[in-house]
Amino acid sequence: MAKGLVVSPDKCTGCRTCELACSYSKSDTFNPKDSAISVMFYEDVGLQVPMTCLQCDEPHCVKVCVVNALTKDEKTGVVNYDKEKCIGCKMCVSACPFGNMTYSIRLKEVIKCDLCKGDPQCVKSCNYGALQYKELDSTLDKRKIIANQFKEAFGEGAI
Amino acid sequence: MKVIINSKEYQGLPGETLMELAKRNNVDIPNLCHKDGIEGQGRCRLCMVEVREGKKTKIVSSCVYPIRDGLEVVTNSEKIIAIRKNIILLLLLKTPNNDYIKSLAEEYGVKAPDRYVDYKVKENCILCGLCVKACEKMGTSAISLINRGTTKKVSTPYDDPSKDCIGCGACAEVCPTNAITMTDKNRIRTIWNKEFKLVKCSVCGKTFTTDEALQFIESKLGKKEERICDSCRKKIISEKFKESFKYF
Ligand code: SF4
Ligand code: SF4
Ligand code: SF4
Repeated sequence: MAKGLVVSPDKCTGCRTCELACSYSKSDTFNPKDSAISVMFYEDVGLQVPMTCLQCDEPHCVKVCVVNALTKDEKTGVVNYDKEKCIGCKMCVSACPFGNMTYSIRLKEVIKCDLCKGDPQCVKSCNYGALQYKELDSTLDKRKIIANQFKEAFGEGAI
Repeated sequence: MKVIINSKEYQGLPGETLMELAKRNNVDIPNLCHKDGIEGQGRCRLCMVEVREGKKTKIVSSCVYPIRDGLEVVTNSEKIIAIRKNIILLLLLKTPNNDYIKSLAEEYGVKAPDRYVDYKVKENCILCGLCVKACEKMGTSAISLINRGTTKKVSTPYDDPSKDCIGCGACAEVCPTNAITMTDKNRIRTIWNKEFKLVKCSVCGKTFTTDEALQFIESKLGKKEERICDSCRKKIISEKFKESFKYF
């Protein structure tokens, strides 16, 4: 079974170290704008939610990419990005149902989570266990929870 | 398939071009009009290399040259370097103020004699054709190389706003010399003389893309898309996620 990122908002302190670790590994800078993971804050309920690519089973970004710069690796489950192929049309940015694609104008490339080729830097940097990289157990699969919630919000055809 | 590049042996894959083999093995061959994901054009000629067959050698563009078993290639002979310098010199004369071409010239130690250079020239396009190819890939084919000789340029038919352009800006992104400008101002995107009214996000009201681009996405996904920007999409889904956690 594929490994994936499991997010536990209840453990996230909102320190945003993951954003810095990610941007550093993706773009050699410490800039949350160039990070593939972003922490959303909900002060009303005291929760922070780190959000990143869900590595969808039927990725919309892959469907709209005309040069195959985005591909789904059926073995690892990861949606990979090849910046050498990317022509910068930014269709993937608008097509992602979850807003998880960012186009960096400075770098002329898409910033997207590829689970760091199996060594996710955000997970390493999180001191509170809010991010874990592990085999996805279908009953505990948080991505499925999100997916279901999303279907409720946007209708069946959304994913 | 064995191919020898600069006396070193490499394993080629069927159907590969010389450029693809070189790139895959981190052998540097300079180029301007090549991009992975777009078929080689053989246009800029900077990727010329020497190919040996028996006693004869010939000069070929590596981005369009299919590899064969036993091929011997030299990428940096004196002859090749002289050709490259010549090409760069011509580019420098055409676009004397372009930063990218200037840095390339510097890298190769190419200097244009002052009396031949017209520094008033504002041209940035080197006619590499990458923008045209990118637009073709999008299926829009809004721009093409028109005219011949010194009036050759990239444009839409008759320089008119193209009905096919979706305002994605891929042409501008792939251009190696930043010759194409796309501006977003007062909710209007302008590119190739065409003005697009940018679409407002139905949640936050900020403009985010063109309606033509959203229609492109809809046709690829085979479904209607909500006019919601990527930031708001992220907010909606994380809000849902938060809701499911409130009760844990
Ligand atoms: S921006 Fe790049 S990765 Fe995204 S759809 Fe366009 S070509 Fe593909
Ligand atoms: S902006 Fe218009 S001309 Fe440029 S690639 Fe997109 S569709 Fe083609
Ligand atoms: S505008 Fe740029 S990409 Fe297009 S032909 Fe000119 S140099 Fe090449």
